[in-house]
Amino acid sequence: MSGFVGWNVIFPKYILADKDYTEVEVTDGGAIIGNVKYMGDLATLSLNLSGNWELPETSTTAPEKLVVSRINNGLKYAVVSITDITKGKKRATPTIHPIIDQQKNTYIPHVVAILAGTTIDILNGDEELHTVHTCSVKNQPFNLGTTYKQRISEKFDSPEIIKLTCDIHKKTYAWIVILDNPYFDTTDKNGYFEICDIPPGTYKLQVWHEELGKLEKEVTIHPKETSNIEFVYSPN
Amino acid sequence: MKPKVLLSRVGLWSATAAASAALLIGIAPMTAKAVNIPTEVTEDGKNTYKKYCSPCHGEEGKGDGPLARSMLPKPRDFTRGAYKFRTTPSGSLPTDDDIYRTISYGVPNSTMIPWDILTDAQRASVIPVLKSFSEAFGVRKPDPSISVGLEIRPSEKTVAEGKKIYEEKLECWKCHGVEGRGDGPSAAEQEDDFGFPIKPFDFTTGKFKGGNSSSDVYLRFTTGLNGTPMPSFAKELTDEQRWCLTHYVLSLIKPEENKEK
Ligand code: HEC
Ligand code: HEC
Repeated sequence: MSGFVGWNVIFPKYILADKDYTEVEVTDGGAIIGNVKYMGDLATLSLNLSGNWELPETSTTAPEKLVVSRINNGLKYAVVSITDITKGKKRATPTIHPIIDQQKNTYIPHVVAILAGTTIDILNGDEELHTVHTCSVKNQPFNLGTTYKQRISEKFDSPEIIKLTCDIHKKTYAWIVILDNPYFDTTDKNGYFEICDIPPGTYKLQVWHEELGKLEKEVTIHPKETSNIEFVYSPN
Repeated sequence: MKPKVLLSRVGLWSATAAASAALLIGIAPMTAKAVNIPTEVTEDGKNTYKKYCSPCHGEEGKGDGPLARSMLPKPRDFTRGAYKFRTTPSGSLPTDDDIYRTISYGVPNSTMIPWDILTDAQRASVIPVLKSFSEAFGVRKPDPSISVGLEIRPSEKTVAEGKKIYEEKLECWKCHGVEGRGDGPSAAEQEDDFGFPIKPFDFTTGKFKGGNSSSDVYLRFTTGLNGTPMPSFAKELTDEQRWCLTHYVLSLIKPEENKEK
């Protein structure tokens, strides 16, 4: 492309690491297992307020902005990744495409973390019109109207955090977090994550959450050992 | 999912079909003739932009020029590379010809006038300037344009088929309203990617922002309008269905309510 004068290099906050990476065979790798916690006041969370009551559909589609386990304060849907790794295991994109489904006007799951180059299938499981709308910059954005049983396959090539929205059901949205190396995981409902086959060394481990932002820690990996890491988000 | 009002409103098409037929032949799309669009930003382009465009679109193309403040719709913010009127698929950058066309044609129902006071060369010269405002043109290329095939002949049948798509299959009425007045149940809450309120188009006015020809309308719902809630329905329709929907959308124009045109 010629004819290009001074671009605005903008939106850095949506872009995670973007560095070179060499694939090697990892034989003596270590692992990180850990937990992400939110120590805020659980009573104020919009979630779980319904208890076991049957609520009208509009209330049950409340956004999954902050999902915290009552048992251990574990935080769901946080993405943990090593940001500064330059060599390690193969960058293998899944042959079976991860799925984001729209059911009862809600995107499921709410957060999907993928390796750059992965294709995601976005489905419509509702018998009505949805629109699947992104405003990404590095990855080509899209806004597609979909009807019942439609399946859209979209490939995401550049590291970026992308929000999926639907213009007909404004309450629902989902996140696609695209990373440039295969060392990442999304926390489960009790806040647990696991990353393995990491070549020994010292790395920066980062956690991202849509509401609570980012935290970072340094972690040292020893051959064939497991490091235990805890991230704690405290309110303010 | 079908509102009852629809059932009582069958027909009516024949009165409006005449109007749409007139439109089909009326306005030929003003695509780039033999205009040479430069690939590099030129002094000429910079000066033309500064003089004629920056009062609205801003010095750096952020859509924040001194005249923009109280304006709605807002002048386009060029920094994201999100262009509404294109021949390319959803999310894609526009082609140079697409941009040229909008500058020449203007955007009806907004303060963006057809820039026919400028020469062809001046209109072409600002295109690299607009592109230079967005990093998107550095990292991506426009996808190939969607080819609009031969139009099928408008008839009672194509309009009826289009109506079914509008009302049942694709539920355009949720935003555009059953009668196409831009007042569907989801209309009030729509905003564009820049956070400004936006109204689904009122088809009865007949002044399509992206052009009134049948291929313009075909392209709008096939490509979507980037940066707005108007999605692309490319994955949902065959070529024939697209023409049917086009004919139905054009039949929603109410010439009697818009005498000026
Ligand atoms: C008086 C204000 C004003 C001036 C001056 C102006 N524009 Fe615009 N322009 C607008 C507005 C408002 C829109 C958005 C219309 C809409 O989205 O409905 C727009 C939209 C556009 C678009 C958007 C096309 C798309 O597909 O999304 C382009 C390209 C454009 N203008 C180019 C120019 C150029 C080039 C000039 C100078 C020759 C110029 N404009 C001068 C107000 C202006
Ligand atoms: C989520 C809401 C939404 C849905 C659903 C929707 N539209 Fe739109 N549409 C819009 C908005 C908003 C605009 C106006 C954008 C603007 O003014 O820049 C628009 C604009 C358009 C235009 C462009 C008119 C012009 O000015 O050139 C056409 C054509 C159109 N829509 C057709 C359709 C058809 C056909 C369907 C169903 C297949 C449909 N739309 C479904 C929101 C929607």
